[in-house]
Amino acid sequence: MSFVSSARLAAAASALALMAGAAVADIRVTVAEYSSLTGPFFNDAAAAFEAETGTKVNIEVVPWDVLFQKLTTDISAGAQADLSIIGTRWLIDFASEDLVAPLDDLISDDLRERFVPAFLEPSVMDGQLLGLPVAASARAMYFNSDLMEQAGVDSVPENWEELADAAAKISALGDDIYGFGLQGAEIETDVYYYYALWSYGGDLITAEGTSGLGTQAAVDAAEMYRGLIDSGVTEPGVTSYNREDVQNLFKQGRVGFMITAPFLATQIANEVPDLNYGVAAIPAGPDGGRGTYGVTDSIIMFENSPNKEEAAAFLDFVFGHDWRVRFDSGEGFLPVTSSVAEDPAFAEDPVLSVFASLLPTARFAPTIAGWEEIAAIASDAMQSIYLGQVEIEPTLSAAADRINALLP
Amino acid sequence: MRMSRKMRRTVLSWIALAPLVIAVLFPFAVMILTALKPAGEVLRPTWVPSEFRWQNFITMWGATNFGTALWNSVYVATLSTIIALVAAIPAAYAMSRYRFAGKGAFQQFLLVSQMLSPIVLVIGLFRLVVWLGLVDSTNSVVIVYAAFGIAFSVWMLQSYFATIPRDLEEAAWIEGATPWQALVRVFLPLALPAMVVTALFTFINSWNEFVIALTMLRTQDSYTLPIQVFSLVAGRYTVEWHHVMAATFVATIPVAVIFAWLQRYLVRGLALGAVK
Amino acid sequence: MKRSLLVNPYVLVAPGFILAALIILWPLAEIANIAVHDVNRFGVLRGYVGLENFRVIFADPEFLGALRRTAIWVFGIVAGSILISIPVAMILNGDFYGRGLARVIIMLPWAISLTMTAIVWAWALNGESGMLNSGLRALGIIDRNVQWLAQASTAFPMQILIGILVTIPFTITIFLGGLSSIPDDLYEAAQLEGANGWQVFREITLPLLKPFVNIAVVMNTIYVFNSFPIIWVTTQGGPAKSTDILVTYLYKLGFQYGRLDDASALSILMFVLLLAFTLLYVRLAMREEKA
Repeated sequence: MSFVSSARLAAAASALALMAGAAVADIRVTVAEYSSLTGPFFNDAAAAFEAETGTKVNIEVVPWDVLFQKLTTDISAGAQADLSIIGTRWLIDFASEDLVAPLDDLISDDLRERFVPAFLEPSVMDGQLLGLPVAASARAMYFNSDLMEQAGVDSVPENWEELADAAAKISALGDDIYGFGLQGAEIETDVYYYYALWSYGGDLITAEGTSGLGTQAAVDAAEMYRGLIDSGVTEPGVTSYNREDVQNLFKQGRVGFMITAPFLATQIANEVPDLNYGVAAIPAGPDGGRGTYGVTDSIIMFENSPNKEEAAAFLDFVFGHDWRVRFDSGEGFLPVTSSVAEDPAFAEDPVLSVFASLLPTARFAPTIAGWEEIAAIASDAMQSIYLGQVEIEPTLSAAADRINALLP
Repeated sequence: MRMSRKMRRTVLSWIALAPLVIAVLFPFAVMILTALKPAGEVLRPTWVPSEFRWQNFITMWGATNFGTALWNSVYVATLSTIIALVAAIPAAYAMSRYRFAGKGAFQQFLLVSQMLSPIVLVIGLFRLVVWLGLVDSTNSVVIVYAAFGIAFSVWMLQSYFATIPRDLEEAAWIEGATPWQALVRVFLPLALPAMVVTALFTFINSWNEFVIALTMLRTQDSYTLPIQVFSLVAGRYTVEWHHVMAATFVATIPVAVIFAWLQRYLVRGLALGAVK
Repeated sequence: MKRSLLVNPYVLVAPGFILAALIILWPLAEIANIAVHDVNRFGVLRGYVGLENFRVIFADPEFLGALRRTAIWVFGIVAGSILISIPVAMILNGDFYGRGLARVIIMLPWAISLTMTAIVWAWALNGESGMLNSGLRALGIIDRNVQWLAQASTAFPMQILIGILVTIPFTITIFLGGLSSIPDDLYEAAQLEGANGWQVFREITLPLLKPFVNIAVVMNTIYVFNSFPIIWVTTQGGPAKSTDILVTYLYKLGFQYGRLDDASALSILMFVLLLAFTLLYVRLAMREEKA
């Protein structure tokens, strides 16, 4: 080889080396799939971020049902992403294994102040901010206005007694119509029961640190639900209806009342816009007690991420006002940032404003390690009760015992 | 009316088979009818859609990223089958023709390996794949399927190969052919039906496999068909059932076509092979 | 004659063995390792505990329930599919118009991924919004909706039925192979001696089919024992764990409760159970053949 061409070769080689060295790091983000819009949203945000900063963002979309399993296997092999969406109630499991990077020094004050404080709190542990709220919802009661009118129910029930009456009238309208949609299967079966538990003055964890299932309030609430099933005002076969199934019945116009999150409103608008419905607070108990379930999902940064700066920059980007408006409205979530909450699209929305008004009474799942197993114990107990196969009090106290064994 | 014997047998056979045929076709009927319903009607259990929305299939293709998932499934199933057979055929040949130390142990290993559920192995498998640096690559899935496919294929092939008489090859040797020539000219043509059947089994298993693909593949671009369909249903707040059903229906067509074409081999292939 | 490298059995067996062993034995060793340690929910080993995890599993009442239901599940599907497949295979073995079409139809359940089959059936079995109920009501077979998946007494038999439907194609394929290997002269001889259909079946067909039945029992037991999607997609082992079998219980332990150590111990137990059954059955079956 002549001198000239080898020089050219050397020049080319060093140019390549320079380019390689100057390449910016890629970041990986694990995202929970809420709907068919989630993937495109994050991919669009990633593309826009790359255009602006040159950092490539790889989005991994994971179905919610297997998110925890995926993260478990990832972490067990050291293959977790830089950022991941998680259920906030899992945060303690992750934090106790030192897997989560504190964000206090990585995010700007500006970013921090965008959030509604109530939503930021569940992600703070030991004074450190460990995640940013990415999705939030509360629960309220949807009612079918047409069915109410046909059945002669004048006003939306305020407490469970009124609900039982109204539901009975609606169920009488026909064989295929049911007054109260009760969820008895799959995820958040236990939560559906908690709405009643809270209204009777019960708690998930008592002040003494034991399971709330062992209290009288728990028994009363369970008896009330059982009464609804036995008197035939709920859909039959409660234990085979997951939340989506009950929502389907509501969308078909066959259910008078059901309790769920804001995303049902989005679905109704897209699928059955002619349905006349409204949203109200979850019925109160005999003493006026009320409660709704507040849920947040957080986005966290893993401690072993090699690209924390770039990941933090992406967080700042994707929590921008316009991106949040698109995300929240598309998925039917409550705004977690103040600017979006004040945006007319949200502040004046009749449905969302009801949910927002319930936030003061919102309860969140306690941050205890092993909550998944506790929830499963509660759900199983409720399923047995709904099937009418067991005595309520012994079943609940047996479940309470098992839960107490798991509590710290 | 005088019916021919065959005609009478036809009528009786179809009557006897009717319950099974109905049970088998029921899910397909559910699939295709739901796939053709307009979106607002999907939730209602009617048997006749108010209109036949054939364009659901087209919207499904885009909305569910079907093309990519289809390609991934084809790639994974085909490649893993090829690898499995390339490794399994010589091994099965050796097992059926030679005695050697460790043959019995290898046979036990093959049978035992069929007993391990992927759910049982998945965590260990995942760590292995991470160690190999293949996470989210469809090649990780290819390797795992090929390995399980080898176990199954050797087991199937060796029993069939054992029924092909050695005399034919020996006759060829006597006539001056090298072992290689005997293999190719005499043995392979006789072994072809068994190899086709085994390839089909392995292909189908890979095509339909779920748990391992779910664990190894993370981005939508690398999903295979079962994972893609599952992701449409699992944990979404809104499930678009007409798309789910359309996707499931289309995902079964390639395999059903292969079946129809090759089903005559299936019988002959397993006839003698399975017993040993 | 010179033995070339090509015909050395070890060379022929090696590539297959190495790949299979790596993929199958390595994770198995991992699981065995985890099973005797205490691990956190992410698989980080914390301390050696010997057989403690196994003791935890045995003491768990859910384990016994799941074990019992697994036995029912396996027996129901394996026996059911064999009982149906023998007559169906005999019909398909005969000559009639449309035989090819019938064979293709009956093989179809094999063409769909088991998870997709389960998703479609779960959708069809929905009490109020499912097409099975609406179809049965339209035909006048039932007048009220049956809530199929709401309790184990209707859900479990339904799940077994679905399991049978998806196991039939494989079983029929084996039996068709078996039937076609029975020489025609045997049937002709029997006809000459004036044997009726039932006698022919009992004296000729069934005994010659026996090895194939054994294959079907062993292979199907292995597949069905570990079969996850049908039960998971339709009921998740519920309601209240009443349809849990060992493999769904395993999934919950490992991936929902995060008890990877107990889950690993359970998976070793499941493997040992299956192995024991297979060895026992093969020995019994072989003894018959020798006799």
